[in-house]
Amino acid sequence: MRVRKAVITAAAPNQNTLPLQRLVDGSGEEKTALQLIVEETLSAGVEEICVVIQPGDEDNYRKAAGGSLGNIQFVHQERPLGYADAILQAESFCGDDPFLHLVGDHLYLSATSKSCAAQLIEMAEHHSCPVSAVQSTREHRLPYFGIVAGTSVPRFDGLYDVRTVVEKPTPTLAEQSLITPGLRSGYYLGYFGMHVLTSAVMECLHEVASDESMERPSLSDAMAKLPHRGKYLAYQLRGRRYNIGEQYGVLIAQLAIGLSGRDRDLLLTELVELLATRAEHPVAATIDPPSESSPLEGSN
Amino acid sequence: MPEVRSMNALIETITTDQADLRDRSLESLVEDATLSELLDHITELDRFRRQEDNLYQRVRALFFLSAIYRYHLPPRLDQSSSGSIPFEGYEHLLGRRFQEAIDEFLEVQSTDGASDSLSSALASAYHELGFQTLADQVRHSVRTVRGNQWMFRLGHVAEHPLRIRKELLPTKDAPNLSPVLKETTAVRMDVSHSAWSDIFFLGMDYPEGARVINVSVDLGVRGRDDQVRPPIETYLRVIDKPVFRLVSVDLNASVEVTTIAEMFDFARDYLGLLKAAVIAAGVVPPGLEGCGSDMASLLERVVGRGKGLELVSKINDIPKGSRLAVSTNLLGSLISNLMRATGQIQSLQGELTEPDRRLIAARAILGEWIGGSGGGWQDSGGVWPGIKLICGQIAGEEDPEFGISRGRLMPDHEVLGENRVSTEARQKLQDSLVVVHGGMAQNVGPILEMVTEHYLVRGRDQWVGRQEAMRIYDEVVEALQQGDICRLGSLTTENFEGPLQSIIPWATNRFTDVMIQRCREQYGDQFWGFWMLGGMSGGGMGFIFDPTIKQDAQDWLSQEMVTVKRELETALPFAMDPVVYDFQINDDGTFAELIPAQSAVLPQKYYALMMPKWLRKPLRELSPQTREELAGISRRCSDPNDREANAALLLRSVLPSDDKASSDKKDDSQTSDDSLAAILKRSGFDRSQHEQIRADMRAGKFGLAANRLSRDLKITDVSKEHVTDTRDGLDDRLADIGSKAIANGEIGVVTLAAGVGSRWTQGAGVCKALHPFHRFAGKHRSFLEIHLAKNRAATSQNGGTIPHVITTSWMTDEAIRTVLDRTENYGHEGPVYVSSGRSVGLRMVPMVRDLHFLWEETAQQVLDQQQQKMRESARSAIANWAQQTGEGSDYTDNVAAQCVHPVGHWYEVPNLFRNGVLSQMLRDQPSLRYLMLHNIDTLGANVAPGLFGLHIESGATLSYEVIPRRLEDRGGGLALVAGRPRLVEGLAMPDERIEFGLKFYNSMTTWIDIDALLDSFGLNRDSLNDASAVDSAVRQMAARLPTYITLKEVKKRWGHAQEDVFPVAQFEKLWGDMTTLSDIDSRFIVTPMRRGQQLKEPSQLDGWNRDGGSAYVNALCKWNKS
Repeated sequence: MRVRKAVITAAAPNQNTLPLQRLVDGSGEEKTALQLIVEETLSAGVEEICVVIQPGDEDNYRKAAGGSLGNIQFVHQERPLGYADAILQAESFCGDDPFLHLVGDHLYLSATSKSCAAQLIEMAEHHSCPVSAVQSTREHRLPYFGIVAGTSVPRFDGLYDVRTVVEKPTPTLAEQSLITPGLRSGYYLGYFGMHVLTSAVMECLHEVASDESMERPSLSDAMAKLPHRGKYLAYQLRGRRYNIGEQYGVLIAQLAIGLSGRDRDLLLTELVELLATRAEHPVAATIDPPSESSPLEGSN
Repeated sequence: MPEVRSMNALIETITTDQADLRDRSLESLVEDATLSELLDHITELDRFRRQEDNLYQRVRALFFLSAIYRYHLPPRLDQSSSGSIPFEGYEHLLGRRFQEAIDEFLEVQSTDGASDSLSSALASAYHELGFQTLADQVRHSVRTVRGNQWMFRLGHVAEHPLRIRKELLPTKDAPNLSPVLKETTAVRMDVSHSAWSDIFFLGMDYPEGARVINVSVDLGVRGRDDQVRPPIETYLRVIDKPVFRLVSVDLNASVEVTTIAEMFDFARDYLGLLKAAVIAAGVVPPGLEGCGSDMASLLERVVGRGKGLELVSKINDIPKGSRLAVSTNLLGSLISNLMRATGQIQSLQGELTEPDRRLIAARAILGEWIGGSGGGWQDSGGVWPGIKLICGQIAGEEDPEFGISRGRLMPDHEVLGENRVSTEARQKLQDSLVVVHGGMAQNVGPILEMVTEHYLVRGRDQWVGRQEAMRIYDEVVEALQQGDICRLGSLTTENFEGPLQSIIPWATNRFTDVMIQRCREQYGDQFWGFWMLGGMSGGGMGFIFDPTIKQDAQDWLSQEMVTVKRELETALPFAMDPVVYDFQINDDGTFAELIPAQSAVLPQKYYALMMPKWLRKPLRELSPQTREELAGISRRCSDPNDREANAALLLRSVLPSDDKASSDKKDDSQTSDDSLAAILKRSGFDRSQHEQIRADMRAGKFGLAANRLSRDLKITDVSKEHVTDTRDGLDDRLADIGSKAIANGEIGVVTLAAGVGSRWTQGAGVCKALHPFHRFAGKHRSFLEIHLAKNRAATSQNGGTIPHVITTSWMTDEAIRTVLDRTENYGHEGPVYVSSGRSVGLRMVPMVRDLHFLWEETAQQVLDQQQQKMRESARSAIANWAQQTGEGSDYTDNVAAQCVHPVGHWYEVPNLFRNGVLSQMLRDQPSLRYLMLHNIDTLGANVAPGLFGLHIESGATLSYEVIPRRLEDRGGGLALVAGRPRLVEGLAMPDERIEFGLKFYNSMTTWIDIDALLDSFGLNRDSLNDASAVDSAVRQMAARLPTYITLKEVKKRWGHAQEDVFPVAQFEKLWGDMTTLSDIDSRFIVTPMRRGQQLKEPSQLDGWNRDGGSAYVNALCKWNKS
């Protein structure tokens, strides 16, 4: 199995401008989020990219794509029918080929020399099956993610054979049926926003999209069917992801990218100065983790 | 050789896998053991339990130890020596440091040898440690159930992982209205009553024996409700105010919880159960306790900014104590509702799936533990539909209990379908069974403890009973499946009269026995049987009749129960008038529907409760939702098609009610004769004395602290020369003297029965003297009846006549006279006098200072962790109440009988002078020279010729009997105060430590030389007839004696068998203080423990029955047929 295609979804209402945000990359160059995502994709050996957008956004996206425009084609999701539907818009682009899927509001930072997408594709190609990137997620973050549970695959560190997928489970359900051996108690495998999918997933997506009992089905709803149809793995790759759709999401992502790049010292100096200067009128701060991201796109 | 075998036998019994060895009774193993063998057993067992890892084996060893110390060791000890209990050990015991207490006691035992006193302390410590170990295990299991664990990990509201389902949020079209999630739930009946086998401890150790048939039922109160329906309804909706509003329409209570801490404050208001449900459902998870956050920030995460939740409960006014597990099922219903709303249960509407029901049941257990209450594992049965078998399960490898206990915490539920119990059989059951609430609401806690203990030591009779009950269970299932209700009735009766009562004789009571008897007399063969619901009879019960007469029997029962209640209500603690229920089997279990915002209506009584609060505010201050709500009410009231809307009810809720309506509420207690003022007037209430005491109390002259003797007084234990020890028997010569004097008619008996026995019924205010608490010679007998029977025995053995005086107070006088009249003095032929109390006090709201003194300065039993939290929360509520009502003000907010109090037993003797009873007795029987005075609960006190002879020969004015102290004998003792022997009341002890140094406890039984006593008052047989001389003599004597302020708990009843308990202040003068007067010749006689043993609390009954106490009393009595 070779992964040469990628699908990026960016059509969710209220989230469609996020990929147009401008950030400074590790080498000090100013880029849009879309460019960063596309670069992540291309670095993993992907050659063709399909971006699913809302009708009317294409001009802005073309401008934001920068130099990689040649590898990109845009498809439109005509009506906001949900995450599953958005991916289905790319069906003709993908054909029967496996593809890398990323969401448009996440940025990734690898902890190794290999990019996150490259790590995932390597694993998928090795096992020739769909693989979702996951991260260990504490239970209080359950309302934001699709959660998988399974058993670890011998000899592959961080690789799991997925048995169950549940979209945004309650901790009660998670504790009863989503415990993955080997994780600390209260931690689960949450989607990372990056998957290698196959045509089998397209079938599942069709099924959930046509299921009238489901209102705007998500990718997790479709993925829940996958373990019954064949091998489906989850991989806890080495890296972190940053959701720029959350409150302060762009800021935190920028800091993370900046601190891992060329301008680390500069940023640290600035931060120290910020920390050292006391606000004259300290605002009563409530500790509030980032607010819930879009119910559609955030739960990848 | 046999010694070695018997030594191993106890531990072998605990550790073996073989059922026949494991189930040997402790009695059979130790009954032939000698003292030294027994002590060896004790050492072995204690060593075993210290090193044993297995929980249940450890627990069983603990109960073995407790039983040996309580029942088997004392009879083998030398009764004439007294030991003492180290105070340090006692302090450990109170602080729930049982392990340390045991070590302390054992150390003293190893140096001083075993003694009766120490044995009682050790028995208690092992007993408590056993129960604590079991409770810890249940708690641990509840916490480790999968799906419950996360709630204990959550520590900050910002990390709250639950979100309300969006279906419950207001829509854009109607932003001010929310949909309502309504859950309706049945209650449960236990058809089989398998010998309390649903106690968690039992199910977890003996899952094979833990089996019940549990039926979900809908209810209506006959004559009140026009339809039968699921009694429990709970409602949840989103509100536009960031608070958690809790409303109980039955208790007329609502609260807006604004902080997390308040949600954990259970006893602050009547909404503790709702709070426990919110916590157990994970909406405010238990892990958040103490996090210090406000509710708004939690609700912002769960529901949304500026929004809150409202949870409303309604149980259709089913009275408390129905034995239908109303509270557990209400908890289940609330939890189910909240868990649906937060997506923890998949289905928002309709029935639940089996895994979801199990989850609810587990959470309900958690809720009960959090709320400090406890139920059996079958109690959430109403969450399941129809008829089901609930059975204990052996713990498998997957279960958290595996390797710890044999069984699982959670049983299995098997719903019996149509193929097992046909529709016809179900109908037959409904056609024959009459379910009632007998009106008694009692605490079943002690019974459940007794059952557990009996089980763990495999009490011989009780174990046989349990096996028998298991056989009956199988037959009950069979009969139910065959639809043979007649057989079912005879089986449940057999169960009740056989095994249940052999396990716990107190499962029945006089009321139940009379009702069964009357049913038999009335309907003969058409009365098919009786069945007990829940922990004990008297509350919820079932009567099974031939269907052809069921309607008739139902009407008859509803009247007959009230009649019988009237006969017994002064003797037994009734909380309300009995009612008959209509019922039908519920085939849905718990069921939910989402009512759309536009048509969402809460119960009428909700609006009646809330509307006055809303209307008090200007309209502009009300939230848009509330305004919309008021508009809705107006619409519905003007809609002729809306039959639910009751405009009159709503109107009544906002308008002041007239006198008639309020007197309806207060029933007949306020009629002129029974009004507080009338009682005070009639009973010679001394207003000026009352005001003086109030002033002194407010000024701090009287009070709990002021009760105590000065600290610089030297108080030590007495030595041999201060007492006459009769434990080794008495000279025959003395017995002869006594016997002759009895035959000459020189002695009379005074039974003190002015008290209401507040500890006996936890302040229910019934007459303890009349409580038929134990079966002797085939019938439940009251304290009074037993005392008269001893009188008869004494005269039949010695000849002569012993006049018997019963002293009463306003609370007990009428009740006692009525019963004596009706029963013709219980068939007692000798002279019986009733000495009516001439003194009564008016209770007062306590001083907060005294409350704090009671809670902080005196040694108090620390409770189990959760119960302790409840208690502390209740205490702050009580201190608040005292402050708001006014410290030291008259306590009048209750029925009159609960507002007045007897002023201490000292007055009961002068009352004999003042009311002319003594002079009457002396006229009737001039030979009378002595009295034996005793407490109502000193059952062993009789006119023993030897002791009487001793008193005559000593020439003393008063001879007080004292007994060797046991752990439970608290409240003073015989001491040497500044070199003089006297009785010191517990209230007067400057330091509680001192009491533990006193070997002897005052049993209150006193031999009185009438003439000498009169003389000390400055009276004689003649001047006794001069009322003013008597009054002044009594007043003078009273002034010489200390006045104590005490706090007593009184119950206030309200609503449907709801009860609140308040500590109120009253003053007392006590008889024992006569020994403080140096001009009165008082002596002290040490008697065997049995003679002075007192029954203060019903929980003592089981031990008293098992350790030979009841047999001892029985032997002193001569029963007649009355």
